[in-house]
Amino acid sequence: MKVRTSMLMAVAGMLVVIAAAEARIKLVALPERSETVIRLDNPTATLIEEERVLTLQKGLNKVDFSWKSVSIDPDSIRLTVLDHPEDVTLLNVSYPPNEAALVWEIASGGDYAERVRISYLLSNIDRLVTYKAIADKAETKVDLRSYLVLRNFSGEDFEKARVLLDYGDSFEQGIAHEETKQMLFLKGDGVPITKVWKWDSAALPWDPSKLNNENVGIPVSYRIVNDKKSGLGEFALWGGKARLFQDDGHESTIFLGEDNSALVPVGEKMELYIGDSRDIVVTQRKMQDSRINLRKNNRGDVILYDTDEVITAKIENFKDGPAVLTMIQRIDGQWDMEKCNMKYERKDAFTLEFEIELPARTAEGPAVKELEMHYHRRNVRP
Amino acid sequence: MKRFIHILLAAAATGGAWAKVDLSTLPERETVQLTIYNSADLTLVRESRPLTVKEGANSLQFSWENTLIDPTSLEMVPKAHAGQIDISELVYPARVRNLGLWKVQSEVSGKVPVEITYLTSGLSWRAFYMGTLRPDEKAMRLEGYVVVTNNSGEDYENAQTRLIVGKVHILDQIAELARRQYPYGSPQDRQVFRDERSETLGRELKVYFGQAVMAGAPASKGKEIVKEGLSEYFLYTIEGTETIATGWSKRLPSFAADAVPVVNLYKYEEERYGGQVIRFLSFANDAEHKLGETPIPGGVLKVYRDVGEAGHLSYEGQSAFKYIPVGEDVELNLGAAADVVVEPKLMEVATENYRFDNKGSVSGWDDVQRWRIEVRNTRDVAVKVEIRRNFPTSYWKLDNEGQVGVYEVEDMDTVKYTLELEPQTKQTFEYVLRMYQGTRAEDWRK
Repeated sequence: MKVRTSMLMAVAGMLVVIAAAEARIKLVALPERSETVIRLDNPTATLIEEERVLTLQKGLNKVDFSWKSVSIDPDSIRLTVLDHPEDVTLLNVSYPPNEAALVWEIASGGDYAERVRISYLLSNIDRLVTYKAIADKAETKVDLRSYLVLRNFSGEDFEKARVLLDYGDSFEQGIAHEETKQMLFLKGDGVPITKVWKWDSAALPWDPSKLNNENVGIPVSYRIVNDKKSGLGEFALWGGKARLFQDDGHESTIFLGEDNSALVPVGEKMELYIGDSRDIVVTQRKMQDSRINLRKNNRGDVILYDTDEVITAKIENFKDGPAVLTMIQRIDGQWDMEKCNMKYERKDAFTLEFEIELPARTAEGPAVKELEMHYHRRNVRP
Repeated sequence: MKRFIHILLAAAATGGAWAKVDLSTLPERETVQLTIYNSADLTLVRESRPLTVKEGANSLQFSWENTLIDPTSLEMVPKAHAGQIDISELVYPARVRNLGLWKVQSEVSGKVPVEITYLTSGLSWRAFYMGTLRPDEKAMRLEGYVVVTNNSGEDYENAQTRLIVGKVHILDQIAELARRQYPYGSPQDRQVFRDERSETLGRELKVYFGQAVMAGAPASKGKEIVKEGLSEYFLYTIEGTETIATGWSKRLPSFAADAVPVVNLYKYEEERYGGQVIRFLSFANDAEHKLGETPIPGGVLKVYRDVGEAGHLSYEGQSAFKYIPVGEDVELNLGAAADVVVEPKLMEVATENYRFDNKGSVSGWDDVQRWRIEVRNTRDVAVKVEIRRNFPTSYWKLDNEGQVGVYEVEDMDTVKYTLELEPQTKQTFEYVLRMYQGTRAEDWRK
């Protein structure tokens, strides 16, 4: 084994320890590390499990475990006896001062070459997941690829280890210190996608004509469902950076954009924001905002009123294809709709969602739809 | 500075020790395609190379000294022997920079064409326009150009060049990814790595050195640029191939349209432009205006005016404009103008209709203002003038007098007057604005 760093393990017989005040004497037998497992199922910490054979003598044994140039959480270190668990007992663990080390005191019922498993959390070794998706020209499906990226900056070389993720079979992989490896681990062809354009009245400017030479881009996303119907749905898709490309019909691709995906459990949706559309233009204006139904106190001051508000939004599609725009409108407080010329879904107390189908532009010009909302906010206090 | 992208192919290294590659063939780049973005510092490079592989395990080294390649974007795909060549692993070895090793398992031996794609920084393009107005200013010749600049550190010879119009969303700047010590960072800087968010890069563009194309001259023998829509983008493919050495720029004509009908539009809005009248050139990106085949990418337009038989020009001004979708109206801001004058004057003020509360204090009243607006066109061409008036309240009423022209309510506190003025004429109109203050607002009805 190529050891750059080190974890040393010492087995010291009881006999050599004379007094506690004396310097610790180490009689070192360095047992070879055999089976090593790198567990990456927890995204916040990496668990290493390694097996070693300890030569134990009947009676009390002291085993010294120390490390250098690596970062191990000492509280995470566990020792599991594999061959004679009923006859070999870990009595206590002591931590020598100013050393990256610990000493196990082990009681053994016989002279054994005992296999033990040592587990610990090792810092600076982890995995990332990245995605690459190539959409077809019609933007109805993607060929999805996911890559596992192993990064080892722990200070330790792993020449050969079993790598375990939170699902699927383990695989054998070696990884040296400061090495990064990228491996293909998920392939999904023809995964259906939905393209979503979303205009949110709270996030985007209302009147593009009031901006100086700036386009208001309407965010465009691809929606992928992690389910069987999509050819996925076997396991949660880990969060990671996703890069999207599109087949351009000339045996090449263009880069559409990239986004970070959060973890997507089975059955849930992944929404990847790819870029902004400047071919759909929304111009929203408040045409009326006045107070009605004034209620006054004895002094004649207004203490309660309703509002009479009118909002219009002109939606123009300059694209040569149809689109469905999701429009989010927000009305605070208690309110009721007097009249609205389009259907909406009330997502919560203050949020309205419209799905507006826009045909393609024609030779005459853009496809235009106009939304008009006439509503009252009720019982407003000045 | 020596720049290179190298590919070395080695016989399968035994025992997993990648380290030193001793056997090598250096396959030449056969074709290269550049897809350059202008909303971000980003170019997709696709190159094809013939590789010679051996049956069994092969390791392929790809290195990129002094370039701005994002190592995490590297991908290699075999273009023949489908299913017989497996490229499943890319290793970024320890203690070496700008180098990747592909682990290739091949069931065939011999030449295999492969396609290598990656993202690089340093190539950019921008759109640039020249407009020449006719003497009567009713039409304009419009010419569009694209300027491609290569600061990537890599010479691209005979590259098929494609330009993308559109706003792409990116998380990390490619240049930053290219400069990272480790391609995916290290777990220590995990937080930084995950939290990096992009901003659209305002790249400084270099002065271009391409041969000048004279304004007004027909773009004879110019390369054709094929334009097509893809997703939310427009793809411009320049005919043939281009060679753009690093540090160089190239200007190419993109389109030319003769006699685009334009309207001389002047705007006045105190709250937005101060007391100045701003001149705009207005047209639409549609067939009626000899345009409308594709969107027009945002850029700078320099406007000249033809001032006589000898083809002399006068410079009218320049305007930066945004991306214009097909079918949309364009208004190009040419700056403040002194030859069209808008003068609003407050002629009379009054207060009326007082309301009093229980204690006898004033609780409501009307503010009445009479305004006179004089508009003078001192030019020798006809103009259109838009005057916007913003009111400090949404409780108002308006009475108009005189040659008001078209008048419309834009929103709850803005009205717009539109007037057409013949050369060297003047128009005057008046309006009376009544603003309902305090409790008088209760008497206001739309």
